[in-house]
Order: sequence, then C-alpha cells, then structure tokens
Amino acid sequence: MDFEFSVITESLPALLTGARLTWIITILGIVGGMFFGVLAGLGRIAGTEALGEEPHGIFKPISVVIRYISSGYVETIRGTPIIVQAMFLYFAFPMLVKALTDIQRFRIEALTAAVITIIFNAGAYIAEIVRGSVISVNKGLLEAGMSLGISRFQLIVHIIGPIAFRRMIPPLGNQFIISLKDTSLFIVIGVGELTRQGQEIMASNFRALEIWLTVAIMYLIMTTVLAMSLRQLEKKMKIF
Amino acid sequence: MSSIIELKNICKSFGDTEVLHNIDLSIQEGEVIVVIGPSGSGKSTLIRCINCLEMISSGELVVDGIRIPDERGRTRQIRLEVGMVFQQFNLFPHMTALGNVAFGPSKARKMNKTKAVDIARDLLAKVGLAEFENKFPGQLSGGQQQRVAIARALAVNPKVLLFDEPTSALDPEMIGEVLDVMKNIAKDSGMTMVVVTHEMGFAAQVGDRLIFMDEGRIVEEGKPSEVMKNPKSERLKDFLGHVKHH
Repeated sequence: MDFEFSVITESLPALLTGARLTWIITILGIVGGMFFGVLAGLGRIAGTEALGEEPHGIFKPISVVIRYISSGYVETIRGTPIIVQAMFLYFAFPMLVKALTDIQRFRIEALTAAVITIIFNAGAYIAEIVRGSVISVNKGLLEAGMSLGISRFQLIVHIIGPIAFRRMIPPLGNQFIISLKDTSLFIVIGVGELTRQGQEIMASNFRALEIWLTVAIMYLIMTTVLAMSLRQLEKKMKIF
Repeated sequence: MSSIIELKNICKSFGDTEVLHNIDLSIQEGEVIVVIGPSGSGKSTLIRCINCLEMISSGELVVDGIRIPDERGRTRQIRLEVGMVFQQFNLFPHMTALGNVAFGPSKARKMNKTKAVDIARDLLAKVGLAEFENKFPGQLSGGQQQRVAIARALAVNPKVLLFDEPTSALDPEMIGEVLDVMKNIAKDSGMTMVVVTHEMGFAAQVGDRLIFMDEGRIVEEGKPSEVMKNPKSERLKDFLGHVKHH
C-alpha cells in the first residue's frame, strides 16, 4: 500500500471549499437553532412554575396552546431522521406546494434546504437543552426574585436566563458538534459540503485512504474549534 | 394604629390537604410578630400567603390596601411592599453581594444604577458587610449570605419584612450575627416584621406579639413573655418544653 501526499495537496483546494461550506451551514444552523431552541424550549414550559408562577385568566389557555405547538415541533423533529427531513424539504415540499397552490415553479436550492433543515433540527434538540436547564434552576431563586416585586420578564431575563445558560453550555457543545457532523448528511441532496467534496474526488482517483483521512482531520479541526470556544465561554461565565 | 396586613378567615390547601384552617389575623404597622410552632403547623405557609408566593384557597387577604383574591393582578405591588428573607438565603449566585442588593432597587423600583448601588452600599454597611461587596454568594459564609439577603430585601424599601426561619440553616455560631441584624431593624426602623423562628430569645426580646400555631390553626397569641411564661394549652406547654431543651 502506498500513501501519496501529493494526492492530499492536490485535493486540498476542493476539500477546503467543502469545509468552508460545512462551516457556514453549521454556523447558520447554530445561530438559527439557538433562536428556535430558546423559543420552543421556553414554549414547552410556558405557564408552568419553572418560569415564575402559573398565570391566571386569559394567559392560562394561551400558555396551553404555546406548550402544544412547541411540543409538536420538538417531537416531530426528534422523531424523524435528519436525512428524511432534508429529502422531504428538498424533493417533497416543492411538490406539495405545486399540488396545493397556484405556484407552479417552486424550487428550493439544495443549500437553502440544508440550512433550513439544520436550523430546525438543531432547534428541536436545543429546545430540550433549554427546557432541562431552566427547570433545573432552584425554585428558591425564583421566589427570591418574585418577592422583590420584579416582573416575569425581568425574572426570566435577569435570574432564570443567566443561571440556566451556564448549565446549557456543556450540552450545547454536544449539540453544536452533532449539528456540524450532521451537515455531512446533506450529501444526499447534493450540497457541496466537505463529505461530498471528498466523495467526488474519491470517485475520480480512488485514493480512499488519503482523502477520507484528510476529510476526517478537517472535521476534527472544526469540532475542536467549536468545543474549545464553548470551553472558553464556560470558563468566562464560571460562578464561584 | 392601622393594620397593614389583614387575614380574614383564610384557608389554604395543597390538593386534598388543608394546611391553614380559617386563619384570622390582623397585623399593625410597626408590629413585630413572631410565629412559632412545630414543623408542619403551617407557619411557613402562613407568611408565604402574605406575599402571595402561595395563593390563598379561600378567605380574604388585605395587604397595604390591596385585596386578594379580588385584586390578584396586583400581587407585584404587594411584593414591592412586602419583602422576604428565606431559610436557604436564595441569593442570586451569578451576582456579587452588591449586585444582589442593588438588583431590587434597580429592577423592581426602576431606579438608576448609581442610586441603586448607593442604596446597596449603605445597606451592606448596615449589615456589617461593606468590605464584602464584590464577593459572590458562594464565597460567603451562611451568616454573611443571610445578612446580604436581609439587605437585599430591605433595598426595595418595603413596609413589611417576612422572615421564614432565617436562622434554621445556619451553623450555631452564625445565628447571633443574623439575629443582631434583625433586632437592629426592628428597633431602628420601626419595620413591620413577621418572623417564623424557633429562637425564643429573639421572640422575647423584640417580639410585640407571639403566635403559636399547630395543625394549621393559631392556637395561642399574646405578649411573648406572657405566652411563654403561662402557656394555656397543653400543646404549647409541650412545644416550649421541647424548644427549651435544645
């Protein structure tokens, strides 16, 4: 067996282009996923004691509806494979639009489908991370806040949020890394991310060892960057 | 004197368990009330009802003119006027001592930061912790944490302070420092205080009225020294016997 370094140097530009796309999809997925994750995570516990005291009057039924919507989202996404979600959005969703509306030229770009999929997928898992961290906040601290006469919004922003966020960091690191690796599945809808680039080069020169080793190392570098950034954040936010 | 807190025929149940039975109690402005009783007698629930951390099941509560349950939407106003000190301190772990005390005035009273910090500094000095303002709760002893918690409750300038067994989670050598702070508040500021405690010395020294609760009812009440000297009910005699031996 021979190991050719030149294979790596020759394929490096294409692989780096793929890595760049992987990184972009991941960052968009993390940012968007955090947005939907916080929304759905808080939504799943809306109107419960985890966010202060139970509401009364009209807010009670509203909070029930919010809980159902949030749970529906989380369970649907968690309960289906990400490949199926990507395929559905890329192939099936345009057909659905054509069948149900007057729009006959509807198409989603592969990259757009990938970004939307990763955002909603990450969002569902992050929602559970958010929910778990929020319900773990000591109820006494909520009572201390409430007994000072602050509003529910202030309670969430100044007390629950900062304390829960610190607890989210380790599981968030997990999820960010999973999301990054999940982008490799978008090979099935033809997004030119890192794995796809590796696959294409491999198909033309059959140098599996050099290519997949390089691809693996590139993933490892990116996940290490994510992990280390979160470690830094964790250190910075440490409570005595 | 006018009454600042009025409990009229109040009941409180958790599920099927009724923990407060038909409580009637009127608290005057400036009065220091000490509530004693065995565990499970409903004393904590009683004071938690006063600032609406527990919502009463029936009866009427009037705090500083606000009627519960009719004006349920105004519980926040009640809490602005009724501060609370907890057994477990419950300081915000991500804020310094100063941050904890300044939080209420700046967020609940919407004061500007400098003014809130000034108030906080004054209060930390008052509870003898001026040099600890930059410490986080995790770096303070239990007694120090509870003194910060008292300063935090005072910082929003409430009319009433509730104390829920403030010394029960403390090591014996730290109980004194917290009780001293409480005594000073009672004497200097004329603050209305409702204190759930087992500290009979404190009750005798600063209490205007002692309330003995058992099984969700007020069994006896009166001047602390008299109630302690001449308990009428067997249950109070029994209870006092236990407390004195510890």
